[in-house]
Amino acid sequence: MKEIRFEHVSKSYGKTEVVKDLNLTIKEGERLILLGPSGCGKSTTLRMIAGLEDVTSGSIYMDKQKVNDVPSGKRNVAMVFQNYALYPHMKVIDNITYGLKVKKMSADEIKHRTDAALEMLQLKQYKDRLPKDLSGGQRQRVALARAVVKQGDCFLLDEPLSNLDAQLRVSARKELVKIHETFKQTLVYVTHDQTEAMTVGDRIALMYQGKLQMVDTPDNVYHRPANIFTAKFIGSPPMNVVDADFQQDKLLFNKQALQLSPEWSRFIQETGATELAFGTRPEHIHLSKIPLDNSITGQVKQVENHGSSYGVYLDVEGQEWIAMSETKNWLPNETVHIEIRMDKIHLFDKETTNSIGYPKNFYGE
Amino acid sequence: MKTNRFASIPWHILFIGLIIILIFPIIFAIGTSFKPLQDAYNNVLNFIPISPTLENYQTFFESLDVVKITFNTFIIAATVTLFKVFTSFLAAYAFVFFHFKGKNILYFVLISTIFIPFSVTMIPNYLVISDLGLADSVWGVILPQLADAVGIFLLRQSMKTIPVSLIEVARLDNLGHARIMKDIVLPLVKPAVTSTGIWFFILSWNEYVWPVLILKTVDNYTLPLALQMYISSEGGTNFTVAMAVAVITMIIPLTLYLLFQRYIIGTFTSSGIK
Repeated sequence: MKEIRFEHVSKSYGKTEVVKDLNLTIKEGERLILLGPSGCGKSTTLRMIAGLEDVTSGSIYMDKQKVNDVPSGKRNVAMVFQNYALYPHMKVIDNITYGLKVKKMSADEIKHRTDAALEMLQLKQYKDRLPKDLSGGQRQRVALARAVVKQGDCFLLDEPLSNLDAQLRVSARKELVKIHETFKQTLVYVTHDQTEAMTVGDRIALMYQGKLQMVDTPDNVYHRPANIFTAKFIGSPPMNVVDADFQQDKLLFNKQALQLSPEWSRFIQETGATELAFGTRPEHIHLSKIPLDNSITGQVKQVENHGSSYGVYLDVEGQEWIAMSETKNWLPNETVHIEIRMDKIHLFDKETTNSIGYPKNFYGE
Repeated sequence: MKTNRFASIPWHILFIGLIIILIFPIIFAIGTSFKPLQDAYNNVLNFIPISPTLENYQTFFESLDVVKITFNTFIIAATVTLFKVFTSFLAAYAFVFFHFKGKNILYFVLISTIFIPFSVTMIPNYLVISDLGLADSVWGVILPQLADAVGIFLLRQSMKTIPVSLIEVARLDNLGHARIMKDIVLPLVKPAVTSTGIWFFILSWNEYVWPVLILKTVDNYTLPLALQMYISSEGGTNFTVAMAVAVITMIIPLTLYLLFQRYIIGTFTSSGIK
């Protein structure tokens, strides 16, 4: 169990900088999710922890030790790869024990650890099979077992569930959390799936274009996003972020206005921000055919079926919004009244795209 | 997909024709090797000997030390094969799994040596070997043949199909490269290694020009050189004996091929492993 610390870490391939000035501390024993769209540098970051990629500049520490030049074999990390990387010519049991045998561990200890892992991951009856005779889910569990028996200081997972079908993914991620609660290693988990990030992570580190966007608990990442990218990346359908002007105690969308709460008005005045981007989640919008207090109007463009609810695309003063509705009886080009939960709004500085923050005693929950 | 059984008939005729053309010399050689010389001249196209005889084999075994010659041929072919496969394996591993500056250029240079004709390197190699005092020695034949770009090419193609993550898992387990090669890469590219080895073995076994330059004493000869003795101006045109030597020369490579043919076909038609 170790703390992992990035200090001004950058990584370039030739002229392309894939990780830019990363500063991040992964706490001992926590589950940290590296989240982001493909090509954001999250896998490279993970591979730098493992020592599979060199660091171009900056330093990585494990506890007090700087590990930039420590070869991967000496870092005592266990890793699960996206394609599982099982040795195709070795049986399940040999795949799991090979790394331990290489370390010249005693046969008793190997047996003890392997039996426990096979038991925990329900692999006992498959131990003499070759990887090609296993299903995707079983292979994934073998890869987990192989990483588990190593009992390394850090547990690194590179999109471990992305090759599984949706149902299996749900059970596999519960299993993974269970395993982690048993061993409590520092766990770093790379994914592009926000649901996985939310369900598995103690904290989420969101990356985009090589830059760390936000590191915080799933709750804070969802409820108090640090910038527009985070706000739009987390949540499905994504948050509406539109241009708005602030005047006295109102937000103006072209000719229409929304009344702000006194806390928000005071807070915006304190920050002195004028050029604002206004954010509201689709589920915090209420649509109505009859006029409501403190509402604006828009035209319905399209209705999308999401199963439990409907996504309604709206045109509000030339900007596209999406709202969640429990009914689907919205007609194209119909004018609707839009009521927004003003206690759940987000405001961003339009220029820096950063959140202007939240009023004191403001609870996003 | 629907296939038309009849459409393949012309192909089958073509293939059968090709097989006959390829097999004919072998049958001819085997048949002739059991004929008396007179018979061979009179009934050239009659493959089955009218009065079969072992005298051609007898002549060969009496006039030369056949065991020694076969042993020479084997030592050369086996040593050359082992070294070529070993050096090709190491080079291919480095080309596939190492990252170093100038890798692609170096690979290009190595592969381009395949296209240098033997006649270009023959004389320089001969001069070096005689300066080293290895003329008329099997080691003189072996020495310039310890590495081969064809082997690097074939094994690299095969190793490229191994996911890099397998090597990375091994590296995380603190395995050295020797161990990774032995425990992980070798088992996965075994078919390619086997067929490349057999390919080298057969090439070396049949080699004529280079050994004839180096080997002077009959005792140091290889089988192809012995064969030549019976059809050259000095040896006369005793071609029934020559056919007997040809049949003996053929036995070992043919056996190897039959034993490992599925690997060989696999390597030359696809990359070797899935």
